[in-house]
Formats: sequence, structure tokens, C-alpha cells
Amino acid sequence: MSVVARLEVEALKPDRELAALIQRAAGDGAIVSFTGLARPRSKSGQAVDRLVLEHHPTLTQQSLEQIAVAAAERFDVNHVWVVHRCGEVGAGEPIVFAGAASAHRRAAFDATDYLMDRLKTEAVFWKREVGDGGSEWIEPSEADHADRDRWG
Amino acid sequence: MKIRFHGRLAQAIGAEIDLDSVAGSCVRELRRRLAAEHPAAAATLEDRRAVACVGGAIVRDDHVIAAGDAVEFLPPVSGG
Repeated sequence: MSVVARLEVEALKPDRELAALIQRAAGDGAIVSFTGLARPRSKSGQAVDRLVLEHHPTLTQQSLEQIAVAAAERFDVNHVWVVHRCGEVGAGEPIVFAGAASAHRRAAFDATDYLMDRLKTEAVFWKREVGDGGSEWIEPSEADHADRDRWG
Repeated sequence: MKIRFHGRLAQAIGAEIDLDSVAGSCVRELRRRLAAEHPAAAATLEDRRAVACVGGAIVRDDHVIAAGDAVEFLPPVSGG
């Protein structure tokens, strides 16, 4: 089993991450991956130019590792892969890549779903949307918390 | 003693301030003192989801701060 959990300060390239996960997963039967993009509109409909993700020098990396390890332990997967951007991310650019490899598909689907639900609510970032409406701090939505709570 | 802040707390208070007479206080007392001195940050400081971090570890509100501790306050996280 292997776990990758990386905080990325440069541009995130999902195709490269997926290629690396495929290479790592030789012998497995399934890979599921998710790529999240910075949305160009806020919830109130304002144009968003970029997201700014502030992070903690140690706790952010720890939170990524804890979530990735928890997924690896909870599901019947052989590899878990999480890469998360920090800093300024332009609208439309990749912000997160999460994936898992397993012998059969269900475990990889579940692990990736779990990874994203926990990342969306627990990863140690402080995010601001910057755009026409100025700069606004954003927090997880009720739906994000409800998604997280599905896993107990 | 230097106190560091993140996210919206850094925006309201500053990324770092120097504060006297912190050692011996518990986190709860420091939280109240900061809220009184920085009204713009009071609501966030009083939010139970905002936590203190001492020496790189999240601590409870009854944690007593010692001289030389590295103290930080973290507002509720945004998630990824």
C-alpha cells in the first residue's frame, strides 16, 4: 500500500498525477480519480477571478496526510493519492486531485468520495474568493458538512 | 510574546502581534483579551471552531501558556 499526500505550490497537473497513479497501481484492477477546479462564480453569482488558499506551515500538510491515511485504512484500496494546491489559483485551474487504486472498482470509488468529503470540510486551508465583488472568505457549506457526516 | 494569526484573524488583527503578560494565562483568557482589544476579530475568536495552536499542536481552551511558547490562533478552516 502507498499513500501520497502533497501540498502543491505550483500549477497542479491532473494528467501527470493520474499517470503517476496508474504507474504506481500496476497489478490493480481499478483507478478512480477526481479533479476539482476553481469555480469562476461565487455562490451569490459574482465573477471570481481567483481563489487564494492560505495554509499553515505544518498543520495543512498534516491534515492532508491524516485524511489520505484514513482513506487507505478504511477502504480496500492499495494506493491513495492526494495533491492539493495552495496559494493563488486562477478560476478554471485545478485545485485538487484525489484518487485511489484498488483490485475492484467499488473500493476506489468509495475511497475517492471519502477523500473529497473530508478534504472539503477538514483540510486546513483558509480560502478567499477574489473578483468583482472584492475579496470574501469562504467556508464549507451545509451540504459539504452533510456529505462529510455520511461517513460517520 | 508573539502571537500569530491566520486567515480572517490575520486580516483583522495582523499576521503577528507582540503582547505582554501572556505567560500564565490560559487560552480562554487570551482569547477574551484579544477579542476585547480587537473587536473586528471578536466574533471569530469567540467561535468554538476557532482553535489555538501552541508549539505546533492544537490545544484546549484551558491550556496554560508558558513563557517562550509559540502561540497561534486559527479561524475555522475553509476546507479544500
